[in-house]
Amino acid sequence: MSEMSLYNNINIYLFVGLFLLACGIVGVLYRRTLVSMLISIELIMNGAGLNLVVFNRFVAPERAYGMAFTLFIMGIAAAEAAIALAIIILIFRRFKNVESDELKEMKD
Amino acid sequence: MIIADAIFILIALMTMVGALTTILARSIIYAMLGLVVTMFGIAGMYIYLNAPFIAMMQILIYVGAISILIAFAIMLVGPLSQRPREWTTLTRFIIALVVAAFTFFVFIKIVVGSKWLPGMSSALNLTTKDIGRTLFDKLMLPFELISLLIVVAIIGAIMIALFSREEK
Repeated sequence: MSEMSLYNNINIYLFVGLFLLACGIVGVLYRRTLVSMLISIELIMNGAGLNLVVFNRFVAPERAYGMAFTLFIMGIAAAEAAIALAIIILIFRRFKNVESDELKEMKD
Repeated sequence: MIIADAIFILIALMTMVGALTTILARSIIYAMLGLVVTMFGIAGMYIYLNAPFIAMMQILIYVGAISILIAFAIMLVGPLSQRPREWTTLTRFIIALVVAAFTFFVFIKIVVGSKWLPGMSSALNLTTKDIGRTLFDKLMLPFELISLLIVVAIIGAIMIALFSREEK
Protein backbone atom coordinates (compact mmCIF):
# COMPACT_ATOMS: atom_id res chain seq x y z
CA MET A 1 0.00 0.00 0.00
CA SER A 2 2.76 2.37 0.83
CA GLU A 3 4.47 1.50 -2.45
CA MET A 4 1.46 2.75 -4.33
CA SER A 5 1.62 6.15 -2.69
CA LEU A 6 2.47 9.10 -4.78
CA TYR A 7 5.21 10.37 -2.50
CA ASN A 8 7.13 7.10 -2.79
CA ASN A 9 7.60 7.64 -6.50
CA ILE A 10 11.09 8.80 -7.42
CA ASN A 11 10.03 10.29 -10.73
CA ILE A 12 7.90 13.00 -9.19
CA TYR A 13 10.76 14.31 -7.07
CA LEU A 14 13.11 14.22 -10.03
CA PHE A 15 10.53 16.06 -12.11
CA VAL A 16 10.28 18.82 -9.54
CA GLY A 17 14.07 19.11 -9.35
CA LEU A 18 14.29 19.28 -13.14
CA PHE A 19 11.56 21.90 -13.23
CA LEU A 20 13.57 24.04 -10.82
CA LEU A 21 16.67 23.59 -13.01
CA ALA A 22 14.77 24.65 -16.15
CA CYS A 23 13.25 27.66 -14.38
CA GLY A 24 16.68 28.69 -13.14
CA ILE A 25 18.14 28.46 -16.66
CA VAL A 26 15.33 30.59 -18.05
CA GLY A 27 15.81 33.12 -15.28
CA VAL A 28 19.57 33.39 -15.75
CA LEU A 29 19.27 33.87 -19.50
CA TYR A 30 16.19 36.07 -19.47
CA ARG A 31 16.30 38.40 -16.49
CA ARG A 32 17.90 41.76 -16.81
CA THR A 33 19.27 42.67 -13.41
CA LEU A 34 22.06 40.92 -11.58
CA VAL A 35 20.04 40.32 -8.41
CA SER A 36 17.40 38.43 -10.38
CA MET A 37 20.09 36.27 -11.92
CA LEU A 38 21.38 35.48 -8.44
CA ILE A 39 17.86 34.48 -7.36
CA SER A 40 17.64 32.14 -10.36
CA ILE A 41 20.96 30.55 -9.42
CA GLU A 42 19.54 29.90 -5.95
CA LEU A 43 16.66 28.07 -7.67
CA ILE A 44 19.14 25.79 -9.45
CA MET A 45 20.96 25.07 -6.19
CA ASN A 46 17.68 24.16 -4.49
CA GLY A 47 16.92 21.71 -7.26
CA ALA A 48 20.36 20.14 -6.92
CA GLY A 49 19.95 19.68 -3.18
CA LEU A 50 16.55 18.07 -3.64
CA ASN A 51 18.04 15.68 -6.21
CA LEU A 52 20.81 14.61 -3.84
CA VAL A 53 18.41 13.82 -1.00
CA VAL A 54 16.11 11.95 -3.41
CA PHE A 55 18.94 9.74 -4.63
CA ASN A 56 20.03 9.15 -1.06
CA ARG A 57 16.57 8.02 -0.09
CA PHE A 58 15.66 5.90 -3.12
CA VAL A 59 18.91 4.53 -4.51
CA ALA A 60 21.41 4.32 -1.65
CA PRO A 61 19.57 4.46 1.68
CA GLU A 62 22.36 2.90 3.77
CA ARG A 63 24.56 5.94 4.25
CA ALA A 64 23.78 9.63 4.66
CA TYR A 65 26.12 10.86 1.93
CA GLY A 66 23.41 12.64 -0.01
CA MET A 67 22.18 14.55 3.00
CA ALA A 68 25.74 15.54 3.92
CA PHE A 69 26.31 16.86 0.41
CA THR A 70 23.04 18.77 0.58
CA LEU A 71 24.39 20.48 3.70
CA PHE A 72 27.58 21.26 1.76
CA ILE A 73 25.49 22.75 -1.04
CA MET A 74 23.71 24.98 1.48
CA GLY A 75 27.05 26.23 2.82
CA ILE A 76 28.40 26.90 -0.66
CA ALA A 77 25.17 28.70 -1.59
CA ALA A 78 25.47 30.95 1.45
CA ALA A 79 29.09 31.83 0.65
CA GLU A 80 28.27 32.39 -3.02
CA ALA A 81 25.31 34.64 -2.17
CA ALA A 82 27.44 36.76 0.18
CA ILE A 83 30.22 37.26 -2.38
CA ALA A 84 27.81 37.87 -5.27
CA LEU A 85 25.83 40.44 -3.34
CA ALA A 86 29.00 42.27 -2.31
CA ILE A 87 30.05 42.39 -5.97
CA ILE A 88 26.58 43.58 -7.02
CA ILE A 89 26.64 46.40 -4.48
CA LEU A 90 30.12 47.37 -5.65
CA ILE A 91 28.94 47.43 -9.26
CA PHE A 92 25.94 49.54 -8.30
CA ARG A 93 28.16 52.01 -6.47
CA ARG A 94 30.42 52.43 -9.47
CA PHE A 95 28.05 52.25 -12.45
CA LYS A 96 24.79 53.33 -10.79
CA ASN A 97 22.83 50.44 -12.27
CA VAL A 98 22.78 46.67 -12.09
CA GLU A 99 21.57 45.79 -15.58
CA SER A 100 23.73 43.13 -17.12
CA ASP A 101 23.49 44.64 -20.60
CA GLU A 102 24.95 47.94 -19.45
CA LEU A 103 28.06 46.46 -17.88
CA LYS A 104 30.46 46.47 -20.79
CA GLU A 105 33.68 47.74 -19.32
CA MET A 106 35.57 45.97 -16.59
CA LYS A 107 37.93 48.75 -15.59
CA ASP A 108 37.62 52.45 -15.97
CA MET B 1 -2.84 7.75 2.39
CA ILE B 2 -5.24 9.91 0.40
CA ILE B 3 -4.63 12.91 2.65
CA ALA B 4 -0.85 12.41 2.50
CA ASP B 5 -1.01 12.24 -1.30
CA ALA B 6 -3.14 15.37 -1.47
CA ILE B 7 -0.74 17.32 0.73
CA PHE B 8 2.18 16.06 -1.32
CA ILE B 9 0.56 17.19 -4.57
CA LEU B 10 -0.15 20.56 -2.97
CA ILE B 11 3.49 20.94 -1.90
CA ALA B 12 4.78 19.99 -5.35
CA LEU B 13 2.42 22.45 -7.03
CA MET B 14 3.42 25.14 -4.54
CA THR B 15 7.09 24.57 -5.35
CA MET B 16 6.54 24.80 -9.08
CA VAL B 17 4.27 27.84 -8.90
CA GLY B 18 6.86 29.55 -6.72
CA ALA B 19 9.56 28.81 -9.28
CA LEU B 20 7.39 30.21 -12.08
CA THR B 21 6.70 33.33 -10.00
CA THR B 22 10.42 33.71 -9.42
CA ILE B 23 11.26 33.87 -13.08
CA LEU B 24 8.16 35.56 -14.47
CA ALA B 25 7.25 38.25 -11.92
CA ARG B 26 7.73 41.80 -13.09
CA SER B 27 8.82 43.12 -9.72
CA ILE B 28 11.98 41.81 -8.13
CA ILE B 29 10.32 41.81 -4.70
CA TYR B 30 7.73 39.34 -5.98
CA ALA B 31 10.53 37.27 -7.46
CA MET B 32 12.17 37.05 -4.05
CA LEU B 33 8.88 36.07 -2.41
CA GLY B 34 8.42 33.38 -5.04
CA LEU B 35 11.87 32.08 -4.15
CA VAL B 36 10.83 31.91 -0.48
CA VAL B 37 7.70 29.92 -1.43
CA THR B 38 9.84 27.53 -3.47
CA MET B 39 12.22 27.02 -0.57
CA PHE B 40 9.36 26.23 1.80
CA GLY B 41 8.01 23.74 -0.73
CA ILE B 42 11.40 22.05 -0.98
CA ALA B 43 11.50 21.83 2.84
CA GLY B 44 8.13 20.07 2.75
CA MET B 45 9.45 17.61 0.17
CA TYR B 46 12.43 16.90 2.43
CA ILE B 47 9.98 16.00 5.20
CA TYR B 48 8.20 13.63 2.80
CA LEU B 49 11.61 12.11 2.06
CA ASN B 50 12.09 11.31 5.78
CA ALA B 51 14.83 13.91 6.16
CA PRO B 52 13.51 16.33 8.80
CA PHE B 53 16.96 17.61 9.75
CA ILE B 54 17.64 18.71 6.18
CA ALA B 55 14.20 20.34 6.08
CA MET B 56 14.94 22.38 9.19
CA MET B 57 18.34 23.35 7.79
CA GLN B 58 16.64 24.37 4.55
CA ILE B 59 14.27 26.68 6.41
CA LEU B 60 17.02 28.07 8.63
CA ILE B 61 19.67 28.68 5.98
CA TYR B 62 17.74 29.38 2.80
CA VAL B 63 14.58 31.02 4.11
CA GLY B 64 16.19 32.59 7.14
CA ALA B 65 19.56 33.72 5.85
CA ILE B 66 19.87 33.79 2.07
CA SER B 67 16.49 35.35 1.30
CA ILE B 68 17.13 38.05 3.89
CA LEU B 69 20.51 38.67 2.26
CA ILE B 70 18.80 39.03 -1.12
CA ALA B 71 16.22 41.38 0.40
CA PHE B 72 19.02 43.57 1.75
CA ALA B 73 20.64 43.63 -1.67
CA ILE B 74 17.35 44.63 -3.30
CA MET B 75 16.96 47.46 -0.82
CA LEU B 76 20.55 48.64 -1.19
CA VAL B 77 20.48 48.67 -4.99
CA GLY B 78 18.66 51.89 -5.69
CA PRO B 79 15.13 53.09 -4.90
CA LEU B 80 12.11 51.23 -6.17
CA SER B 81 11.04 53.94 -8.59
CA GLN B 82 14.31 53.80 -10.53
CA ARG B 83 14.33 50.06 -10.80
CA PRO B 84 14.88 48.99 -14.42
CA ARG B 85 12.41 46.81 -16.21
CA GLU B 86 12.96 43.13 -15.50
CA TRP B 87 11.81 41.92 -18.89
CA THR B 88 14.01 41.84 -21.92
CA THR B 89 13.20 41.31 -25.57
CA LEU B 90 10.99 38.56 -26.86
CA THR B 91 13.86 37.06 -28.83
CA ARG B 92 15.88 36.50 -25.74
CA PHE B 93 12.90 34.98 -23.96
CA ILE B 94 12.40 32.50 -26.79
CA ILE B 95 16.10 31.62 -26.76
CA ALA B 96 16.05 31.06 -23.00
CA LEU B 97 12.90 28.95 -23.31
CA VAL B 98 14.46 26.80 -26.04
CA VAL B 99 17.64 26.21 -24.04
CA ALA B 100 15.69 25.35 -20.88
CA ALA B 101 13.29 23.06 -22.75
CA PHE B 102 16.18 21.25 -24.41
CA THR B 103 17.87 20.65 -21.05
CA PHE B 104 14.57 19.60 -19.50
CA PHE B 105 13.74 17.02 -22.14
CA VAL B 106 17.24 15.58 -22.25
CA PHE B 107 17.17 14.99 -18.50
CA ILE B 108 13.59 13.71 -18.61
CA LYS B 109 14.66 11.16 -21.20
CA ILE B 110 17.55 10.07 -18.97
CA VAL B 111 15.27 9.78 -15.93
CA VAL B 112 12.59 7.81 -17.76
CA GLY B 113 15.11 5.56 -19.46
CA SER B 114 17.05 4.56 -16.37
CA LYS B 115 16.28 1.53 -14.25
CA TRP B 116 16.45 2.24 -10.53
CA LEU B 117 17.64 -0.36 -8.09
CA PRO B 118 15.05 -2.64 -6.47
CA GLY B 119 14.06 -2.10 -2.89
CA MET B 120 13.93 1.60 -3.43
CA SER B 121 10.64 1.99 -1.63
CA SER B 122 12.09 1.03 1.73
CA ALA B 123 11.89 3.94 4.10
CA LEU B 124 14.95 5.96 4.89
CA ASN B 125 15.90 5.40 8.52
CA LEU B 126 18.79 7.80 8.81
CA THR B 127 18.74 9.99 11.88
CA THR B 128 20.62 13.17 12.62
CA LYS B 129 23.19 11.04 14.42
CA ASP B 130 23.92 9.17 11.19
CA ILE B 131 24.31 12.42 9.30
CA GLY B 132 26.77 13.65 11.91
CA ARG B 133 28.68 10.35 11.78
CA THR B 134 28.97 10.57 8.00
CA LEU B 135 29.93 14.21 8.14
CA PHE B 136 32.66 13.86 10.73
CA ASP B 137 33.97 10.37 10.00
CA LYS B 138 33.96 10.02 6.24
CA LEU B 139 33.70 13.61 5.05
CA MET B 140 35.98 15.35 7.51
CA LEU B 141 38.21 17.07 4.95
CA PRO B 142 35.36 18.47 2.78
CA PHE B 143 33.67 19.74 5.93
CA GLU B 144 36.76 21.64 7.01
CA LEU B 145 37.25 22.97 3.49
CA ILE B 146 33.67 24.25 3.43
CA SER B 147 34.18 26.05 6.72
CA LEU B 148 37.39 27.58 5.35
CA LEU B 149 35.51 28.61 2.20
CA ILE B 150 32.81 30.34 4.21
CA VAL B 151 35.37 32.24 6.30
CA VAL B 152 37.19 33.36 3.15
CA ALA B 153 33.89 34.39 1.56
CA ILE B 154 32.84 36.47 4.56
CA ILE B 155 36.23 38.20 4.79
CA GLY B 156 36.22 38.77 1.04
CA ALA B 157 32.76 40.29 1.08
CA ILE B 158 33.73 42.67 3.87
CA MET B 159 36.94 43.65 2.06
CA ILE B 160 35.10 44.28 -1.21
CA ALA B 161 32.49 46.43 0.50
CA LEU B 162 34.97 48.39 2.62
CA PHE B 163 37.84 49.14 0.30
CA SER B 164 35.75 50.17 -2.65
CA ARG B 165 34.21 52.92 -0.54
CA GLU B 166 37.58 54.09 0.68
CA GLU B 167 39.14 54.33 -2.74
CA LYS B 168 36.32 56.49 -4.02
